[in-house]
Amino acid sequence: MSAQELDPLIHVPARLRIVATLAALPEGDAVSFPRLQDMIGLTPGNLITHLRKLEEAGYIDTEKTGNGSASRTSVALTRAGRSAFEMYTEALRGLLGGL
Amino acid sequence: MPTHNHTHEAVPDNGGELDPRDAAALLDQTTRRAERQLDLHPPVLMLVAALVVLIAYGAIWLSVRNQHPYTGPTLGALGVLYATLAAFGVLVAVVTRRAISGIGGRSSQRRRGEAIAFAVAWTSVYVFQGALHHAGASHAIAYGIYPAAAPLIIVGSAAAAYEAAKENWEWSGFACAAVVLACVGAFTGPETVWAVMGIGLATLLLARAASRIWLHG
Repeated sequence: MSAQELDPLIHVPARLRIVATLAALPEGDAVSFPRLQDMIGLTPGNLITHLRKLEEAGYIDTEKTGNGSASRTSVALTRAGRSAFEMYTEALRGLLGGL
Repeated sequence: MPTHNHTHEAVPDNGGELDPRDAAALLDQTTRRAERQLDLHPPVLMLVAALVVLIAYGAIWLSVRNQHPYTGPTLGALGVLYATLAAFGVLVAVVTRRAISGIGGRSSQRRRGEAIAFAVAWTSVYVFQGALHHAGASHAIAYGIYPAAAPLIIVGSAAAAYEAAKENWEWSGFACAAVVLACVGAFTGPETVWAVMGIGLATLLLARAASRIWLHG
């Protein structure tokens, strides 16, 4: 196995941090955008960019509730995202075991 | 997963050249950090709980030792017990609020169910104490052995079963140890049981805090 076989969508520092943080939540839970930003420490623009890529891949779900200043966006890992993350960690373990 | 002394600032953010070792270190660091931020029972809270238990049970023990015949804790000792528990309750609420801030979904519904079930268990402990008094049980039982040991036996058993159902063996083991402690402590009599419970429970909490730090960093 080589590093090229690691899921390229996750194998990026910012997205790895996003997915690992979301995976630490119990299954079925979602986190608000400000709390996720606070936990990870990315700028809002940077976080939005990476979230969009993960959402396009079906790894996360974002849900917006409310309107205007009362609007709130929450983010959750989908089942496919959790599964992809598990495969990524397994692959990483295998790779490091072989190094 | 090996742990390197890297920080996330040390690796590129463009996905070009992320070394697998750096990825593993970043993953480990991020997971630990997230778990700490979401932790409802951080080790420091357990250290405070150990202190609370020592103060609360210690105050009761000081008020009942050398009582012949046994009459039960004084109002002053009960005041210390309830004041300490109230202060600890506020601390738990602050820690919980911070940990679950911005988190929604299935676990918040589960927490509400848990809170109701455990409130019923705690209430039943004290309603049953009233029944013991009503039935003419001695002060040694109704105001000594029972209130010192029964809460841990009843609520601890419920917690042990609940955590075992979730395969949370660390908490289930802790709850089982508390139940065993209470059962053994009950044999030491209405005065000594307060000291045994205070020291024993504080020791268990310290051990639990140490094991969490050791296992989870």
